[in-house]
Order: sequence, then C-alpha cells, then structure tokens
Amino acid sequence: MEEGLDMRARRLSGTLLMMLGIALIFGPMAARAADSDGGDAATMKEVLRELKELRAERKHDRQLIKTLETKVDQLESRDSKNTGAAIQLENTNRQLQATNLELQQTASQVKTLQAKLDEPVNAEDFSEAFGKYLGSHSFTVTGSAGGQFVYDQQSGAIDGIHHGTQNSFFFDWEPMILYRPADWILFEGVLGAGFGSTGTGVDLSTAEFQLFPNDYLTIVGGLFDNPFGDWFETQSPMWVNRFVTAPLPFGVESVVPPGDIGVQARGGFEWGAEGQDFDYTAWIGNGPEFSSNVLGAALGGPVAVANAESNGKAFGTRLRIYPIPVDKDWGRLEVGASTYDGKWNGGNYFTSWGVDFNYLYGNFQTRGEWVSSYREMPSGLPQDNRQGWYLQLGYMMSDVRVPGISDELNKYFQRLQPLIRYSGVNQHFVSLDDITGSTGIGMGGFQAGLVPDFGLSGSPALYAPHSREVALALDYWFAPSIVWQNEVDFELPRAGGTLVAADGSTTPAGSVPNDHAFLTQFTVGF
Amino acid sequence: MRKAIFVIIISGLVIGAIGRPAFAEDNMSKAEKRELFRKGAKLWPIYCAQCHNPRPPGEKAPYEWDQVIMHMRQISNMPAANARAILIYLKSR
Repeated sequence: MEEGLDMRARRLSGTLLMMLGIALIFGPMAARAADSDGGDAATMKEVLRELKELRAERKHDRQLIKTLETKVDQLESRDSKNTGAAIQLENTNRQLQATNLELQQTASQVKTLQAKLDEPVNAEDFSEAFGKYLGSHSFTVTGSAGGQFVYDQQSGAIDGIHHGTQNSFFFDWEPMILYRPADWILFEGVLGAGFGSTGTGVDLSTAEFQLFPNDYLTIVGGLFDNPFGDWFETQSPMWVNRFVTAPLPFGVESVVPPGDIGVQARGGFEWGAEGQDFDYTAWIGNGPEFSSNVLGAALGGPVAVANAESNGKAFGTRLRIYPIPVDKDWGRLEVGASTYDGKWNGGNYFTSWGVDFNYLYGNFQTRGEWVSSYREMPSGLPQDNRQGWYLQLGYMMSDVRVPGISDELNKYFQRLQPLIRYSGVNQHFVSLDDITGSTGIGMGGFQAGLVPDFGLSGSPALYAPHSREVALALDYWFAPSIVWQNEVDFELPRAGGTLVAADGSTTPAGSVPNDHAFLTQFTVGF
Repeated sequence: MRKAIFVIIISGLVIGAIGRPAFAEDNMSKAEKRELFRKGAKLWPIYCAQCHNPRPPGEKAPYEWDQVIMHMRQISNMPAANARAILIYLKSR
C-alpha cells in the first residue's frame, strides 16, 4: 500500500512537470497567436485554470505524500518494535524449552526415587544407616529372668530334723549390660537381683573389660567367672543350664572358686580343618578365699575373692580342643583340662585341676566334668581335699513323632527335652558355720541374708559330706531361650563324714539321708 | 611372682602385636561378606549349640549382635574368623 501511494505521488509530480513544460514552450507561442487570434485567449485561460487546479492538486498530493510518509515512518517504527518482541518471544521460548528439559529430568529423578522407595529396604544398608545414627558407642542389655517354685525335703544335720519340708516362690533377675565403645573393646557387667521369702538381694557377679587386639588374643580384666572348666563361665545362666539346680561340685560346696578378680589372656584358633579348634585361657587373680579356717569350710564367692588381698596370687590355665571337623558330620566334641593354683590364709597353698567334655550330636547332648582340689590347712591339720563330678545327658524330642496322636499334640511333644544328671562331691568335712549361715534353702540351719541364686541352691544334697544326687528334668521349650523347667532331685545315701564347729571341734555325721526336692522354673534369656 | 607377671605382660604384648583388629568389617568387599555369610550360616548352629540353643538372627538388632558376638567370642574362645562369619550371618537377618 505504501509503495502504491509513492508511485501515485511520483506520477502526479511527473504530469505536473510535463504540463508546466508545455505551458512554458507553448505559452509565448499562444500569446503571439492571441495576438493573431483572439479565440486562443479562452483556451489560454482554460489552460491557466487547469494549471491552477493542477497546482492545488499538487499541493494536496504533497500533503498526502507527507501524511503517507509519516504513516510509513510510523509503520516502520511499529515493525521494528514487532521485531524486538519477536526476538524476546524467541528467547522466552528457548528458556521455556530449557525449563521443560529440567522438569523432565526432575520427573525422571523423582520416578527413580519412587521406584527405590517402593523396593523392599536393603537390610544391610538400613543396618549401616541405623548404626551410624546410633553412634559408635552403644549399649545392649541381655541376660535372664526367672520365677521359681521349690518344694524341698531336707534333713537337719545337727538338730535332729528328719525329712523336714519347706516350699517357697522365688524370683531372680540377672541383667547383663554390654557396652561397646569400639570394635576392639567391650565392657560387660552382670547383676544378680533376687526376691524370695528371706528378702531381696543384689549381687555383682561379673564386671570386666574385654580387649580384642587381634584374632588370637583377648585380654580380660576385672571381676570374672572362674574360667575353670565349663560350668561357671558358660553353663550357669538360668536359661542355659538345662536343670534348675547346679551340679553338686559347682553349688554351695564348690570344689573350686566360682570367681576371681584379676587379668586373663585368652584366645582360640583353627589347627586343622574347619571346626577343629584349639583354645587357651590363662589368668592371674586374687586367689581363693574360704568362709573360715576350719576343715570343710566353703569357698567364698566373688566378693570374698575381691577381699582376699593379703593372699598370694593364684594362676589358672585352661586348654580345650575340638577334634572333629564340621564337615565330617560326626557331631561336635570338646575336651578340656584346667588347673588353678594359689595361696590362701596368707601362705597356705591351694591347688586344683579338672577335666571336662561336651559332646553334641543332633538332638543328643552330654557333658561332664571332674574336679579335684587340695587345700593345705594351718596348724598341722590334715589336708582338706575334695573331689567332685557330674555327668548329664539330654535329648531334644524335636524329631520324634508319637504315633496315634494328632499333629497338633505332636508339636507340643516335640518341644520337650528330658534330661538326667548324676553328680557328687567327696568332701569328708562340713563346716557347721556354713550350714547355719547358709543363704540357700538349708534345713540344717536357718535362711539368712540373701535369696539363693537359682541354679545354685534348692538341691536337697547341700552341705552334706560325701553327697550324691540324681536329678531328673523335663524342659518344655517355648522358644530357643524361653523354657519351663521341671526337676526332681533324689539324694542318694552314701558314706557319712564329720561336722566341724567354728572352734574346730568335730561331730561324726551319718550317711546322707534320702531326701527329695521338686523344683519348677520359668525362665527367659533376653 | 614378679618374673611371672613380667613374662605374662611381655607374652601379651608380643601376641597382641600380631595380626589385625578382631572385628574390623569396614574394609571387607561384598564378595568377602557373601563368603562369610555362607560360612556363618553353617557355623552358627554348631558353635552356639555347644552351650545353648542358637538364637535366631531376628531376635536382636544388628548393632546388638556386634556386642553379643564380641561377648560370645570372648567367653567361648572361638576362632575370630568364625566369630566374624557368624556375626555377618546374624546381622543379615
């Protein structure tokens, strides 16, 4: 449109210029002609009029051209603005495309995360993360708790009571606290708290640091269960012991000290095929302590040992070997030997040794120990020698199916474990002070002080010379560490001995009466 | 007495200088862990049943097994490599 207007303006200008030329050329000629011819004057006027009109038209056209030029300028300006806007739009479009790409990537990442969330949690990753969350110092509480009912028939050694009976409920709680500041150090503490008819008692049975410098050595320092044989260290916890009571050589008339305070070095390694192991334990401690200086006096527990500072130090060693490789499928056999030698009463020697075994084949398990000790007495008294032993057998019925009863009943039946144990102690002398001050259920005297520790008291054959006992047990396992244990004990008549008073005077004692006991215990290892 | 204590301390230091920290798991590769898992699954019922019924892996949290197995290694004197394998198995749940 702008080009059309321009052309039109040019055409008009051309026409005007041509007519002006014609007028200049032919005007004088026309004037001469008027002179010559009066008719041409009218024509001249006409021409002039037309010229005037043409001038007016030209003026109008110029104005029109000016107007059009202004419009063209305006249009050009507008076009330039439009071009800028188009460039802006293009940039915006590019930005939008980039944002869209980012959004697509984010959506993809969200999808990946969602897929990960939908997947089951990897236990290892979770464990690692949770471990980090908990920190490097961590506590664990484990241990055991149990409730017990004891019916005990026991004859008094000095007061003429024959087959006297008593019964009572007890409860015992033995938490073990483990504290692990790093992967080479562990602290372990065990408390024993009991409640029964004679009151409540709390006892610290172990408190020790364990250092693991390498694969072959563990250093233990503190108050610990005596690593002599297997009983004190590994078999004494309520839910681990298959019986309610302890075997006689590890009960109230223990043949070797139940604990010590000192330092141990221990470890184990494979010497052959997988499962053929050898292990060692060597320790030094405060040494043994007895309840008194009379013959037959009982060995003191950890507290007495901790107080035995004036005695010569004791040294102990235990070696064990596992001869059967795991892949042979012949079961697991352990054979061990222990020694423990020291001084008591500031100079009198005490020596002891023992052998033990443990054999497990499928559901069948048997274990046993033999222990012997020699105690040098002061003032020319004869040696106070003692020997003790036990042998136990058990069978878990998990693979036995009783014909003629339903599957449901068989399931209950398969949780049963019957056991038998024979144990005895050859101890000729028994201290009367130990009987009267007994913390166990001893009808020979009175119950004083603490509640007896489960598994270490309750047997009828306590504080008797040359004691022998057969224990029958039937355990019902609710879970691997939850058990209801039932035990019947029979005290077997055997040779008598001698009762010794605090002043050293002696009274002959007859053969062990044939007493009985029934114990039932529900215990949980946690 | 002093001689005996001296011998025990020196022996402990000599034995302690051999080997590596007992329970370091951080440097283990995944393949090593898999192998230990298999070994642990085999040894777990055998070593535990020496004294008591084997406790199922799910009974305790992995961080608790770290401590319990340290305690068990100490009390049973089992070879450290076997204790590590059982620990890996128990922690895998």
